[in-house]
Amino acid sequence: MIQPQTHLNVADNSGARQLMCIRIIGASNRRYAHIGDVIVAVIKEAIPNTPLEKSEVIRAVIVRTCKELKRDNGMILRYDDNAAVVIDQEGNPKGTRIFGAIARELRQLNFTKIVSLAPEVL
Amino acid sequence: MWAALRSRSSSLHPWKQGIAAPPGLTPTAFSSSSFTTATTNKAFLSLQEIQKVLNDVRADDVKVLSVPTMHADWADCMVLATGRSTWHVKNIAQALIHKAKQKQKGVDRKVLPSVEGQEEGKWIVIDSGKIIVHALDEKAREYYNLEGLWTTETSQKEPNPELEKAFVKIRPKNNSKKPVRKVA
Repeated sequence: MIQPQTHLNVADNSGARQLMCIRIIGASNRRYAHIGDVIVAVIKEAIPNTPLEKSEVIRAVIVRTCKELKRDNGMILRYDDNAAVVIDQEGNPKGTRIFGAIARELRQLNFTKIVSLAPEVL
Repeated sequence: MWAALRSRSSSLHPWKQGIAAPPGLTPTAFSSSSFTTATTNKAFLSLQEIQKVLNDVRADDVKVLSVPTMHADWADCMVLATGRSTWHVKNIAQALIHKAKQKQKGVDRKVLPSVEGQEEGKWIVIDSGKIIVHALDEKAREYYNLEGLWTTETSQKEPNPELEKAFVKIRPKNNSKKPVRKVA
């Protein structure tokens, strides 16, 4: 359940450390975003000497949420943190490596690039 | 949204559903057995066909990598190919889709591979079931270094020289005009 003003961790090596959601892309009056949704976010904290800087506006895909994700077979998936991966306008990830486990729903939602960079797919 | 996704995934992408393997079967055995059924064999391109198509469109530096064991439940192997320009990368993707269409001629419901990044042509992923084809231009291939990721898992923790430098303490420069007093 990501909404504007939610702070998220960054799950890649793009250089950003913390993001704040400012808009959910996809509908005009959408309240919450879940795993696999694209959001507009501001970089709140960044690693020095990297291409991304603080207070830059970027797009990101949510890859982990504290709110549980239910699958058809009864499996429930939930993580300890809210995390996102920074992408550009075309959907290419900004970073080259992704950290932590990632849900396989991202592949169905056409984020195969992110899934293929991830170390573990749940 | 999830309800819509579910219905879509069950009708269009039957291979993409997260099927939990029964406890007796390992995930790889389960997926490969379901993959070899007659219907899926017709729908997806085999490795030989993909290699032939990539040869025909003259993709450079084609590499086939087997996926590490912990990933093995969602894909069997990755094919990497380099194109000389964005047009060339797009043409590689088009050729693979065309081949998949041709293979299913006469079938009333065609299953097309899902393609990502086709508008731009820097990195196109063609996801045809158990084989995933990555077509990249030279810059993107160097940048993402997918071979390094998929061949050795140790390369993930590459040390970042700039980051190490950033934390080294630097003694502040003395710019003052005052003569330095010598400590006796």
